[in-house]
Amino acid sequence: MNNVRAFWATAKRELLIRCRYPDWFVAMLLWPILMPTFTVFATQALAGPDNSGGEVFAELAGTSDYIGFVFIGIVMWSWLNTVLWQVGATLRTEQRRGTLESNWVTPASRLAIMFGSGLTNMISSLITVAVSLIFCKLMWHIDLTFSPLLGLVFLLSTAAIYGLGLIFASLVLLVRELNSAVNFVRGMFMVFCGITYPISVMPHWMQTVAKGLPLTYSIRLIREIGLAGAGYRDVSDAFWILFAFAVSLLAGGYMLFILMDRIAARKGILGQY
Amino acid sequence: MAKFSKWLCSQLRLIGATARKEFIIFTRYPANAVLSLIEPLMWLTPLYFMGKAFSVGGHAVGFEGFTGTSDYFSFVMVGAFMSSYIAVAFWGMAYSIEEDMILGVLEPNWVTPANRVSILLGRSIMFALLTTVQSLGVLLIGALLFNVKVSGDIFVALLIIVPMLIAIFGLGLGLAGIVLAIRRAQTAIDMSNWVFSQISGMQFPVTVLPKPLMAVALTLPATYGYDAVRSVLLGTNPLLPMKQEIMILVTSAIVMCIVGRAVFYTFDRRCRRLGTIGGH
Repeated sequence: MNNVRAFWATAKRELLIRCRYPDWFVAMLLWPILMPTFTVFATQALAGPDNSGGEVFAELAGTSDYIGFVFIGIVMWSWLNTVLWQVGATLRTEQRRGTLESNWVTPASRLAIMFGSGLTNMISSLITVAVSLIFCKLMWHIDLTFSPLLGLVFLLSTAAIYGLGLIFASLVLLVRELNSAVNFVRGMFMVFCGITYPISVMPHWMQTVAKGLPLTYSIRLIREIGLAGAGYRDVSDAFWILFAFAVSLLAGGYMLFILMDRIAARKGILGQY
Repeated sequence: MAKFSKWLCSQLRLIGATARKEFIIFTRYPANAVLSLIEPLMWLTPLYFMGKAFSVGGHAVGFEGFTGTSDYFSFVMVGAFMSSYIAVAFWGMAYSIEEDMILGVLEPNWVTPANRVSILLGRSIMFALLTTVQSLGVLLIGALLFNVKVSGDIFVALLIIVPMLIAIFGLGLGLAGIVLAIRRAQTAIDMSNWVFSQISGMQFPVTVLPKPLMAVALTLPATYGYDAVRSVLLGTNPLLPMKQEIMILVTSAIVMCIVGRAVFYTFDRRCRRLGTIGGH
């Protein structure tokens, strides 16, 4: 019960802080519209006035709906970006505010504090995805088929990315500054996961790297289930790979958090930044 | 005349001192210098593969119908090169005001008799120089990794960039005045810098934009800068005859410098009257 109270108190505090900076809210509403839209313009230019480029794309990607293809990729990447920055930077933000040590020495569960911040982040990232999808439907008339399987894939993707965010957040306790690392990881996902193109256009070694990243499977599954209407049997292999990523990243993130917390307490470095 | 040359010398000394200060700060963070080469490539590599997904044998056949060139990635690289100068206006000039506010050095600098426009110019000139080195590095890596080919007259292209740069500096000056007044502008700058580059045609020809957005694009000098430089370097079909595009760029440079300076000093006077320079 005490943990739930700590969780809610942190979530409420984060929400209050966010409400004090309305420019963040504007960014949350506009970025998910601007980023995919301008990429769609680029794909329209590549498709050409006679759609000759679009036909080439359809042969490679297996779908002639290049707008939907690109939109899903960008939306998923933007969402990953938001989660990775927000969850990964939770402890760093507390360090900079000077509140990490004082919160950490209370008897409240540290994970409850972490996940309390995470709830606000989750709500904001879900709003981002929702804005993108509504705009995508209205502007480009893309029909995304919503099904329980699609919801499950989204949930597993969330778990995988939160696990990754937890790993970054834990490392902050030890190395303190992780902006470059987060930038590098989001760049890796952008290049390797086939956000705006089928991964078959990349060299073989890059395709191998892509297979080691959870977002590759998230995007592939959402495209196949949401756009092409595939069922569980068609995508079961990718589904279970994503499941394995979700479980291992969450467990890995949790264990690393416990470990880093102990190291930070032993070394007495919580107050430094 | 002697009075003017004395004034000019003092302004040049001021610009030099501010530029030197920026350079010293830059050299203190070597990791950022490395990242400034890697990060643009991370953003550009997906565009290379996206172009490849619409290409046959390395030729973007559909894209050629819009622009006259089938080399999509060279089109993007030239766009990215020029966009980096737009970032100088938005981040190097406008955001530098907010940065000084956060560091707490804006008011101490502002109360000296130094010309404020010269302080901003010194910063942006150093930003522009560093950006040139960084962008040339990115172009070189692009040429090696992605076979970027620029075959036209580079000297003519550089001459076209000059009035575009002056116009953008004028815009940056106006924006700096706005930042002085609104104080918290990071999100607005981030978004407007990105939209400005995109809508001017950084990664696609503006002719693919819906009509209302295309009308906006045609009011921006950068659109003509991108278009003229690409036409010279890559042989793309220009929006207007080259002479007209250059005339538009030169006129924009003059108008935007005058308007930018007026906007900056209007907000500067307002802030002095209200006494808000020290707050953030």
